[in-house]
Amino acid sequence: MDALTGWWDDFFWGSVVVAEVFVTALILTVLLGLIGAAAKLSKNRVAKSIASGYTIVFRGTPEILVLLLFYFGSAIALTNIAQIFDPEIKFIDIPPFWAGSIAISLIVGSYATETFRGAFLGVDPGQIEAARALGLSNFKTFVYVRIPAMWRLALPPFGNHMLSLIKDTALISIIGLNETLFAAEQAIGNTGKPFTMYIVVGLIYLGFSTIITLSVMVLEKYANQHLEVGR
Amino acid sequence: MSFDLALILDSIPKMLMGIGLTFQLLFLSAALGLTLAVILLLMRISGRWYLSAPTMVYIYIFRGTPILVQIFIIYYGLPQLEFIRDSIFWPILREPFGCAVLALSLNTGAYVSEILRGGVLGVDRGLKEAGAALGLSARDRFIHITSPIAIRLALPAYSNDFISLMKSTALASTITLLDMMGIARTIVAETYAPYEIFISLAVIYLILTWIIQRSFGWLEKRMSRHVRQ
Repeated sequence: MDALTGWWDDFFWGSVVVAEVFVTALILTVLLGLIGAAAKLSKNRVAKSIASGYTIVFRGTPEILVLLLFYFGSAIALTNIAQIFDPEIKFIDIPPFWAGSIAISLIVGSYATETFRGAFLGVDPGQIEAARALGLSNFKTFVYVRIPAMWRLALPPFGNHMLSLIKDTALISIIGLNETLFAAEQAIGNTGKPFTMYIVVGLIYLGFSTIITLSVMVLEKYANQHLEVGR
Repeated sequence: MSFDLALILDSIPKMLMGIGLTFQLLFLSAALGLTLAVILLLMRISGRWYLSAPTMVYIYIFRGTPILVQIFIIYYGLPQLEFIRDSIFWPILREPFGCAVLALSLNTGAYVSEILRGGVLGVDRGLKEAGAALGLSARDRFIHITSPIAIRLALPAYSNDFISLMKSTALASTITLLDMMGIARTIVAETYAPYEIFISLAVIYLILTWIIQRSFGWLEKRMSRHVRQ
């Protein structure tokens, strides 16, 4: 434990970065999942095929490959675009924070697309008919009827997607984001205690996973409270 | 932006040289992971707290931490401990391949045991009761009634986990192994052509995913053939 003296703050700030990436990627994942599910359920054939292409590609390739392709690929594209305006520019890249957050939300978003699609299909058609009968517009039906009813069904699998997201943040150290694994590598370079440092990283992630699991349990209870039998 | 077709044609065979290692990692970890999963499952459903409690802790730890961290703890971390270096397992743990297989098996074992448990819990109670009424022992009931049905119920979820495992083998490239991903990263470092190389590799992985999905689909159909008219 002596080896850890002086490294706690590095691990703390690393954890803050993990939490920041997680929140950013979570918002993007929900958006991508909703757009993807809406596209898959729409009657537009082009939107449908783009959405199914998206889920097939991102669910079938390794996460690390998507991350590296996105990071290096976007850097090359950006540099090429920048050179049109200013030929002096040698190299531009997206900050690892954004490259990583977008890459992992693209991956988990493809799983969320399938979850949301299934949940939308699971909403009782009677509820939507009732909303129609009450004269709600399509948009209002979507916001006030479909989403709340869908959310309850999507929550348990979505909890697993959130766990995938938090665990995928570890990959972003590969493209140089200064999160906990990155902090551990620096600490190891200095102290020569890899086991101790990586165990700390593991414990930090275990803490994050526990918080997410507990939050999902609370949310599930909240979402299902109208179903509880009165005592 | 130019897309270098010659480079793609040149690098695909190079990356495919790593497919053997990818397959070795995949099948070895899948087999060891499945064995571990069955042991964990039996402990979990044994009804004895001193067997089921450690299993739950194990599953909690391995499902709650990133597999990359698990790989790093095993490959970079364990050599810090003296008794590991003195143990008989050192020849395996010294090699990145042994560490990758160990990490992948320990990880997939935790997930698969939960999948199998879902299958076992899904078996109709009436069937087990019928077995008991016929005078089968608890062991015979588990082997001849519960297991075959549980396996069929767990198969769809298992195929997803198998695909996850296939994707996780790419992480072996982070501990110097030259699987397909490792070779691709080396080529990108030399040529700096991420689009060409990584997209071709993505296509290779997509084909593998497709083959795995089709095989499991076929297996599922075969195992459920008594259901169809």
